[in-house]
Amino acid sequence: MEGRQLKVIFGKYILLAILVLYSFVSFIPFFWSISTSFKTESEVFFNHILPEHLNTSAYVQIATKITPTLYTLFFNSLFIAVTIVILHLILGSTAGYAFARLRFPGRDVLFYMVLATMMIPDQLRVVPVYILLVKMGLISGHPSNFLAIFLLKAVGALDIFLFRQYFLNIPKELEDSARIDGASPIQVFTKIMLPNALPIIATVSILTFQGSWNDLFWPSIILQAPNHWTLPFGILEFQGQFQTDWPPMMALVVLSTLPILLIYLFAQKFIINMQLGSAVKQ
Amino acid sequence: MTIQALEAHKPVSKTRRVRNLKEYLTGWSFIAVPMTLFAVLSIGILFYAVYISRYDWGLLGARKYLGWQNFSDSLKDPVFLRAIRNSLLYAALVVPLQSAMGLTLALLVNSKIKGSNFFRATFYFPSMASSAAITTLFILLMTPDGLFNKILHYFGVNISNLFNQGQWLSDSRTALYSVIGLNAWTTSGTMMLFYLANLQGIDGSYEEVAKTDGANRWQILRYITLPLLKPAHFFVITTGMIGALQLYDQAILAGGADGSPNYSLMTMVLYIYNACFRQFKFGYGAAIGLELFVLIFSLTLAQRFLFGARAWKGDN
Repeated sequence: MEGRQLKVIFGKYILLAILVLYSFVSFIPFFWSISTSFKTESEVFFNHILPEHLNTSAYVQIATKITPTLYTLFFNSLFIAVTIVILHLILGSTAGYAFARLRFPGRDVLFYMVLATMMIPDQLRVVPVYILLVKMGLISGHPSNFLAIFLLKAVGALDIFLFRQYFLNIPKELEDSARIDGASPIQVFTKIMLPNALPIIATVSILTFQGSWNDLFWPSIILQAPNHWTLPFGILEFQGQFQTDWPPMMALVVLSTLPILLIYLFAQKFIINMQLGSAVKQ
Repeated sequence: MTIQALEAHKPVSKTRRVRNLKEYLTGWSFIAVPMTLFAVLSIGILFYAVYISRYDWGLLGARKYLGWQNFSDSLKDPVFLRAIRNSLLYAALVVPLQSAMGLTLALLVNSKIKGSNFFRATFYFPSMASSAAITTLFILLMTPDGLFNKILHYFGVNISNLFNQGQWLSDSRTALYSVIGLNAWTTSGTMMLFYLANLQGIDGSYEEVAKTDGANRWQILRYITLPLLKPAHFFVITTGMIGALQLYDQAILAGGADGSPNYSLMTMVLYIYNACFRQFKFGYGAAIGLELFVLIFSLTLAQRFLFGARAWKGDN
């Protein structure tokens, strides 16, 4: 009996050791980018864990000497992400509610159509979409470029699916009593369903924000004009310019990851549980 | 008078009909914008892609009908064949690797150990950060003078005697494998969550019965847990493969638009990017896109067949 207990304790320590080791593997690269961003250029390949002095010149360089400016990159990323979150919330919640609770001819067929679009890879769409956008005059370099991104990303099949799933689980009695009182479907939606859907609204907001903030593929194709670049696109372009000048590059990496890190720190339990939840539903 | 009489006869059905019609209209108007966007930009656009793929379609100037020539041309281009080979090799290695790592992490984190929430959160974070940020960071870590080689050196590896002199990303023999390592690491957190979701849904009584029958831990894992994880295996492998065949971000970040060095990071999607946005051969690019779609679609169907139709719906 004692031998067995010893074995269990021993096993636990091995397990803990593996977990701690892999945490380092997950964490060290990010730590390294922060540390490098405070080093001088000549210091980088000493590969010391910490910089000799807390040197902020890389951040000054990134903040003042790049074109387009850091402010432009941040503004574009944020503007696109926030707009797309709002569009996803409006279009996803209304469509999700209609598919979950309203009766109308063609509902199920259309819902399967929504699901089927998830099978179509973006890379197949890129050529015809690009040509279509050129024909619509949305690829040219003025603000209509953003409109092209909004059109392309305004709606997400996954969001409609998640909203529908959530609305299906809200008790029908809530809705029925409002309807008996004479509320219209739109009133039921805005006064009963939406206030009860805050968790799914948060889920869709975080998923969409992160997806848009990190996206490189569509911006690298549609937002060619430098004053329209987003942060990931800026990173791609500056890599060629800075070459071996790593501290400013890492400063840009750190700054671009910061918003995601903040969201993650404040909501990590929620994010993990919601990812678990959406994984179950898929 | 007569109308009123008629209405008095069927007051319920008329208001119901009006209410039904109202509900239909609300329903249709609630889905109108998303369905229009889907119909044009997701479904209609596929037919447009087929149409474009049969032409010599430049940015300007007259278009020439080519029939299937874009498709046959592509198979004669050694760079495209290299791209297919790279994408398939990448998928064949990264999918088992990320799945195995995700499964291992999920099993470790799922055990009742102190701080398992902390570990979960730490392991998942690389999946949250942007590919641009992580790949740039990875390039720094993997440069000949970088941290990775320093760690190897610390463990007694002589870098200058290595077959690639420690040039992990700038040697065509190791560039693709380095990116495989990078992406197995960044995606394993997501795969861990997919497995965790499945693990938490498993009824614990199976394990209890096996334990009282004298099964050891390994046997429980091999004969009970792993088979019960079939929906997660299916999901992880399918989504992993679809994602792997679309490799683009890490390839263009680490190897530029040419997938340098020596096309070792040229992928199918990067090849489409080159055909369209550097050579302006849109018809050709559309043809490659369709070939990629057929490849992804048939591999997904093959997996569905392999796992059985029921795994598709998430049943065991």
